[in-house]
Amino acid sequence: MVRAKLWAVIRREFLERVQTRAFVIGCLLGPVFIAGVLFLPAYLALRNVRVAAASSLIVIDATGTGLGERLRTTLTTPASAPTASTSASHIEVRVTAPNEIAAAESLATKAVIAKTVDGYVVLDERTLRGQRARYAGRKATAVGDMRRLEQALRQSALAQRLATANVNPSLVDSLSQSRLVLESERLTEQGRGSDASRRANLMFAGAVAFLLYMSMILYGQMVLRGVLEEKTTRVAEVVVSSVSPDTLLAGKVIGVGAVGLAQQIIWIVATLYLGSLLAPMLMRMAPPPGQMAGADAANVPTMSMPDVHVGSLLVILAFFILGYGLYASIHAAVGAMVNSDQEAQQALAPVMVLIVSSAIFIQPVMLNPSNTVARVASMFPFSAPIIMPLRMGLVPVPAWELAVAILGLMAAVVAVIFLAARIYRVGLLMYGKRPSLGELARWVRQS
Amino acid sequence: MSELAIDVQHVVKRYADHVAVRDLSLQVPRGTVYGLLGPNGAGKTTTIRMILNIIAPDEGSIRVLGRPSNDASASDQIGYLPEERGLYKKMKVRAVLQFLGVLRGMTRDAADKQIDYWLDRLSLRTPDKDWGTAKVDELSRGMQQKVQFIGTLLHDPDLVILDEPFSGLDPINAQALKDTVVELRKRGKTVIFSTHLMDNAERLCDYVCIIARGAKVLDGAVSVVKAQHGGKHIALALSGEVRTGVTAVLSDTTLVTHVDDQNQFFELELARDATPQRLLERLVAAGAPITRFELVQPSLHQIFLQTVGAEGVEEGMSGQG
Repeated sequence: MVRAKLWAVIRREFLERVQTRAFVIGCLLGPVFIAGVLFLPAYLALRNVRVAAASSLIVIDATGTGLGERLRTTLTTPASAPTASTSASHIEVRVTAPNEIAAAESLATKAVIAKTVDGYVVLDERTLRGQRARYAGRKATAVGDMRRLEQALRQSALAQRLATANVNPSLVDSLSQSRLVLESERLTEQGRGSDASRRANLMFAGAVAFLLYMSMILYGQMVLRGVLEEKTTRVAEVVVSSVSPDTLLAGKVIGVGAVGLAQQIIWIVATLYLGSLLAPMLMRMAPPPGQMAGADAANVPTMSMPDVHVGSLLVILAFFILGYGLYASIHAAVGAMVNSDQEAQQALAPVMVLIVSSAIFIQPVMLNPSNTVARVASMFPFSAPIIMPLRMGLVPVPAWELAVAILGLMAAVVAVIFLAARIYRVGLLMYGKRPSLGELARWVRQS
Repeated sequence: MSELAIDVQHVVKRYADHVAVRDLSLQVPRGTVYGLLGPNGAGKTTTIRMILNIIAPDEGSIRVLGRPSNDASASDQIGYLPEERGLYKKMKVRAVLQFLGVLRGMTRDAADKQIDYWLDRLSLRTPDKDWGTAKVDELSRGMQQKVQFIGTLLHDPDLVILDEPFSGLDPINAQALKDTVVELRKRGKTVIFSTHLMDNAERLCDYVCIIARGAKVLDGAVSVVKAQHGGKHIALALSGEVRTGVTAVLSDTTLVTHVDDQNQFFELELARDATPQRLLERLVAAGAPITRFELVQPSLHQIFLQTVGAEGVEEGMSGQG
């Protein structure tokens, strides 16, 4: 019978929330937002590559060796067989005497300002010695472009020097053709993952931590507003004359939690679906791999699935449930303590400090998931629900640390629910002044 | 089956800075209408909340329908209308009522049938308009009160507890409420209501209990209470101006201890040693143009004033009903 009433409370909390316009809009906008965050950088990076491939350049060659010509060949010839439509690059080599560099440069500068070319590069004696070359242009800050140019320069300078040293020209070509790419792999107990999947993991872990953080705040607030509504409309009194406050509290927390879970499942499924639509589009945009120098390739996020296992999904779910239980109970107690939204926001400030300070750790932990700060934050009950899943997505976490985090969190949840239920029981029918800490302590003792 | 719907024994409830209820005992027989009377702040709501097991007494015991009040199974037989009324504003009327019904142990289907009956009966559902499908905050205040009232009676409870049911009701809803209370009583239900409006209590109640400052002042059947305080009250009506001689008679404390000018007539309380005959003699002698001289039972209002006294009045009581 108590179960039927608990079920009725859960049912009401769930249905009344999923039928609101806010929920429907949230479900629709969430995936668009997530997809935007995930795919926009990839889209922009790919667009840059295409622009870079189409860039135009003046090469001022004052070496008197034909290095400029070599550079042009290196830049325009992809390593693999050239595909159609690849060489949109326009590269003009101007062979100059060393004492006329200044004049050639001012001419080239005018061309850059007139936007007929993107930039120019000056090659001289020192370039030939393997020391330096100078670039000036509108794209001097585009990291990918500069790396590509730099690599092509090194390669051309090396080839030129080999040729000057009278090495067989065919040997020069074959020896200097270098497209070395550093591929890093992630080693875990489960095996190895590629560089791309490492990035996918980082993104996934960060997204999970952010989602957990958002849900603690979002659904905690939802519980608080629900409690406050029952209190201010005085419905609470009728309801607690039929069910115990504990049942009402449990039903509310479970019902809102179910709303949260439903929303996140909708978000994740919809994002994956959107992703499956967008990924092929991005793939089509990407130039064939050979056309990009190694540095470019590393800049393009590859559409690789993170290596997530059922086990880690269950752990994330466990942290979601425990973390939500912890913060939702606190929010419910705060809701029972206050009489208005304004008061609620004030009383909530210490709770928000706990949540937000956990979120502040997200970035440092992503950069360094194994240092002391990260380990402590991932085991401290109030930050564990956000930080531990993040760490686990990045590095293998020792089993004992995971155990400490989960058991500590469970203990904290039990303690907080015990306190929150007592504050809730008394506060729900108390109107007037917000209680002081001393009064709160008495509420806990007396109920 | 106990003869008592409610048996409260020596209940005490203390708060941090005051005692809300002190050593209160009261018995409500089954099948009666019972009025819990007292000024504001007398402890009526606290007592009702303890009967409903919303709060626990510090001392004493409460039995409801033969079971301890903290036995959760009792709550399904109780209907409760709190003083501060409110519903989930954004919910549809029917959904709210279903929810309240299920919380009182009904199935969803059974609740639905009763909702149909009550919506029709209180004309919240007419061929033109079904307010059951509207949201609560689209309803007028009067209609919301009706919905709240349906929520109280939906599960056909054996015991109905109404806290200040008449406050804020328009005359039509107040009359509907009185009719319903009478009907419930005829069907053998027990109704308890708290009020500071003595008129309503006098007309509706079989039994009353007057409490002030957390303690019981008197209780019993209305007829017995009146008889105990009766025989000393006289309704006096005069035509024309009241002459000074008459005023002198009425101010004589050996004859009359209390005069309540009710505009149409005076309600007088005789001094302990005075007789009605003696008073009538003196009035006639003073030349009073008497149109009515009647020995009456005291109104609950008079008894209330007499027993609770001036202190109760000062605490914000409004006994005029």
